Amino acid sequence: MTASSPTDRAAVRVDRVACTGHGVCASLLPGSIRLDEWGYPVVLTPAEGGVDDGDQARAAAVRLCPAMALYAGRPS
Amino acid sequence: MNLVELLDQSGLTGRGGAAFSTATKVRAAHEHRAALVVNACDGEIGAVKDAYVVEHHLAALVRGATLVGGRRVRYAAHRGSATEARLRAAGLDVLSAPARYVSSEETSLISLAQGGLARPMTKRQPFVMGGADSEGRRIRPTVVLNAETLWRVAQVVEHGPHWFRAQGLPKEPGPRLVGVGGAVSRPGVIATSAGIPLRDIVAAAEGDLDRSGPVIVGGLGGVLLSRAEAAAAPWSTEGLRPFGGRPGPGVVHVLDPDACPVVELARWFDHAAGESAGQCGPCMFGLPAIAADWRELAAGASPAPARQRLLRRTASVTGRGACRFPDGVAGLATSALRVLSDHLADHASGHCAAGQTSRSSHDRVLAH
Amino acid sequence: MNELLWFVSRATGTASIVLLTAVLVLGALTAGRRSRALSQTVVVGLHRSLALGTSAFLLAHIGTAVLETYVSIDWISAFVPFTAGYRPLWVGLGTLAFDIVLAVVATSLLRHRLSRRAWKAVHLMAFALWPLALVHGYAMGTSNEPLLRLVPVACAVVGGLALTWRALARHADQERRQAILTQEWS
Repeated sequence: MTASSPTDRAAVRVDRVACTGHGVCASLLPGSIRLDEWGYPVVLTPAEGGVDDGDQARAAAVRLCPAMALYAGRPS
Repeated sequence: MNLVELLDQSGLTGRGGAAFSTATKVRAAHEHRAALVVNACDGEIGAVKDAYVVEHHLAALVRGATLVGGRRVRYAAHRGSATEARLRAAGLDVLSAPARYVSSEETSLISLAQGGLARPMTKRQPFVMGGADSEGRRIRPTVVLNAETLWRVAQVVEHGPHWFRAQGLPKEPGPRLVGVGGAVSRPGVIATSAGIPLRDIVAAAEGDLDRSGPVIVGGLGGVLLSRAEAAAAPWSTEGLRPFGGRPGPGVVHVLDPDACPVVELARWFDHAAGESAGQCGPCMFGLPAIAADWRELAAGASPAPARQRLLRRTASVTGRGACRFPDGVAGLATSALRVLSDHLADHASGHCAAGQTSRSSHDRVLAH
Repeated sequence: MNELLWFVSRATGTASIVLLTAVLVLGALTAGRRSRALSQTVVVGLHRSLALGTSAFLLAHIGTAVLETYVSIDWISAFVPFTAGYRPLWVGLGTLAFDIVLAVVATSLLRHRLSRRAWKAVHLMAFALWPLALVHGYAMGTSNEPLLRLVPVACAVVGGLALTWRALARHADQERRQAILTQEWS
């Protein structure tokens, strides 16, 4: 994996099959993830008002998701 | 010139729906010594061209598949289909997929080929390089190509890239198959190419876009076009882009002018709701919700809020599943809202224009 | 000194049982209804932190038990079940529980390097580990200190309630997944 440049931010991605809607990611990444009406994460792009929560918060979210459904990667 | 160069020159792209460069896919397949699964499932609603290729061009298909996958080739078809029977009769290694909509999706077939269920997998990276499913089970490098695409591979090798490029458009070269069905007198497979007017393709199936209902291009994962739009559109990426559509899997379904398109689409969305693989929250809850929203619109109740809710939900499910199934249904729903907005207004005021059907008989159909 | 070690061993052992039960209850709470009132983040975070805390108390419990010379428990029997000189069966159950703790903690720390299946299989062994610890705690409690025996009993009740709740809890995601899984997919 190449390092991300400032203009090409690494983001979190969700393994939708593994995700069961615990919502831990949304509380750890309040700027970039909100939950939909059924409790599943919506990853907000900057255009949608998403704000960078920082590398540490992202790493924590990846680590703490009970379903291990979060992983690092550039959005497609 | 080697195979990849030939394919690159020909400009062949996938005929299964995604239209990805076949040369790129084959190069990666060879690089990773990937196994090949031939997708002959006709998984899209109304699709018939994979069966056609297997029935009429099997030898060429096998040649193309062997060039790509060597000895590691399996031929996927839906269980119980005529295609499956033909492939077995030919002594080929058959991958029998359950007759579910998402089971013929690329990653579903890869999962099934490796002993898993025929349900889509999260694609962290292309499976041509191998990977793992969400449980952590290792997946060997595998590539999936559509049956028609592999037949075209054999044709390019036999006749050359120039022959291939002689048909179609510079950006979308080569012959293409399209399955035409619905309110036409001779439904079936039409041999055509990009740039041909859609009205001519439908006419070849003895249908008439001057007298039909709206047209669904691309099946459940496609878009609805009004009759007038379809009658004027060329069969090409550029030609269909204004409507949010693509040539994609090569399926055209012409609706009956005397039947209510809202009721017809309600059936499609209900079907979609029941075809979720049940792995991703937005899909397994979102698609039934979209189907319910459409029924509410069809029933004429609170059209503006129901419309807003439907639009919000179609945007919400898009891109939030492991596969593109919810995206496809969302696209069909959005296009249907656009094309049928007048018709839905009629429903809201208590009558339905198509065939002057009374609303009460609608409700009976919808309620079933 | 020896008496101090013996005392610390029993105290940390009792604390370990209480903490282990808390860890179990928190783990059970990650299933079931996703209640907004009870933040999943807090539950998951506490589950992990307390698990590590339990491990610390557990190491102290075993270390002091081995070091004190009043009863015959050596380092080997801290890892190999039923090999202690003192009350081999009851101590052995504790050793077995400790072995499972090691496996659970190791696989959880290495979670992102393992397949989810492997992690889950080991993690489910926690359902065996907990009763083993409770029985060990109860059996090791001496009759002239009835309060010590009360602790594993109370933990059994609380943990039992949590597990019952988990088994009965409705969760939309799980229900929908299971319902669809009964359809034809292979």
